[in-house]
Amino acid sequence: MDQLLSRPEIQSALAPFVIALLVYLGLRKFTGAAWLWALMAAFLTSAALINGLTVTPLTGTRKIILLVIGAFFIAATFRWVMPSNGLQRRFSTIISQLSLLWVFWAVVSRMNSTAMVLFLVGSISLVLALEYLFVRMIDKPAQLHSAGFSLLLGVGLSATAAASALLGQLALALAAASGGAFLGWIVTGSTPAKQSRQPIAVLPYIIAPALLGVAAVIFARLPWYAMIPLTAIPLVVSLVPQKAESRLLRAILSSLPGLVIALGVAFYVWQAGSSGSGY
Amino acid sequence: MKNLVILAAIAILPLKAVIAADYTVDSSHTYVSFSVNHLGFSTMRGKFNEQTGSLKFDPTAKKAEVMIEIEASSIDTGHTKRDEHLQSPDFLNAVENPTITFMSTSTTWDGDKPAKITGNLTLLGVSKPVTLTIISMKCGPNPFSKKETCGFDATGSITRSDFGVNYGIPAIGEVLDLQIEFEAVKN
Repeated sequence: MDQLLSRPEIQSALAPFVIALLVYLGLRKFTGAAWLWALMAAFLTSAALINGLTVTPLTGTRKIILLVIGAFFIAATFRWVMPSNGLQRRFSTIISQLSLLWVFWAVVSRMNSTAMVLFLVGSISLVLALEYLFVRMIDKPAQLHSAGFSLLLGVGLSATAAASALLGQLALALAAASGGAFLGWIVTGSTPAKQSRQPIAVLPYIIAPALLGVAAVIFARLPWYAMIPLTAIPLVVSLVPQKAESRLLRAILSSLPGLVIALGVAFYVWQAGSSGSGY
Repeated sequence: MKNLVILAAIAILPLKAVIAADYTVDSSHTYVSFSVNHLGFSTMRGKFNEQTGSLKFDPTAKKAEVMIEIEASSIDTGHTKRDEHLQSPDFLNAVENPTITFMSTSTTWDGDKPAKITGNLTLLGVSKPVTLTIISMKCGPNPFSKKETCGFDATGSITRSDFGVNYGIPAIGEVLDLQIEFEAVKN
């Protein structure tokens, strides 16, 4: 059993996909935030399998795991604490930015002033772009889940190609979990109640790709400019018309452009001479 | 009587300073290398290209203190892509933890030469005790530079999972054998 659970395809694909699907199907009648709890449970399981749930020493990767879990919790519960949409958006932006600083400041503070400014400008732009793009899709589950799935898949594959299986696996686990919950939505068609379709709900889709993507740039070898097409995924997905009657068709049409970008970026990073395996 | 003891202690201090010597690592003759099992097929070898450190050596008092600081990003296995991967968070996480340090804490002696040096190895922010066995050691003037030099060859091993480096276990060996060739020049 231990040998089975140590396989990367189980840890970051099958396990999170199945757990997210089952939790989503189990909770969807009780809460509009079922997909958030489903992703959180799946990610927690994957993180435990991939990295263990140790927090010492508190490395950047472990901080990311804690922050992503925290983001799911906040996204699923804070709508009661913070009813105003504007306040939720500002809170999401600030908390995402502070998360980036907490994870990367130890490294960024050793950089020269130009690199530091570039990091701050890049990370602020990344968070603002993701926040703006995902909030636009909050009422369109097919687009929202397609964009989240494709973006996390792109970050995961690119991070893996850029010489970090650990960061790659974490992002791929989230992509698989997102795919599981997405499949649950395709099968059941449950539309979250209006009160759960609020800006704070997309916080994990801002924090997770931002932290894992920037970590792959700073800690591994992901070229910074690879984050530009990846960040454009939610924009491209949001342009896909949602006229198809069938949920499956809408899901496929919404996912296609994002998947093309995600696979294209990962292929480029792999071709550009990063590691992968085979040595 | 008390004053006499204090005076005697003060008088001895300069003598001890002469006997005990401080040395600085000669990076061009110091090698920290490792070997690890690769998929059960063979042994993979690698080394670090940049290290600094110091040695405090006092054979009369049977004291030896070694400090080695290694640049994690200088890992070299003769394969660029593999070295990039070894620097990533999967292994050394070199950006976040740029240095690996060994700081000796105790030495066991065999006659007038140190036989084993035990110290704390800090890797990825985790410190664990490691014992190095001294294979050979010599101190004396370098015939070319004429500078007082001390050098030793040592071996040891670490279990990388103790430091949280779990990637690829068991396919890539969990135990790393260390080979250290060390030279330091008297300050």
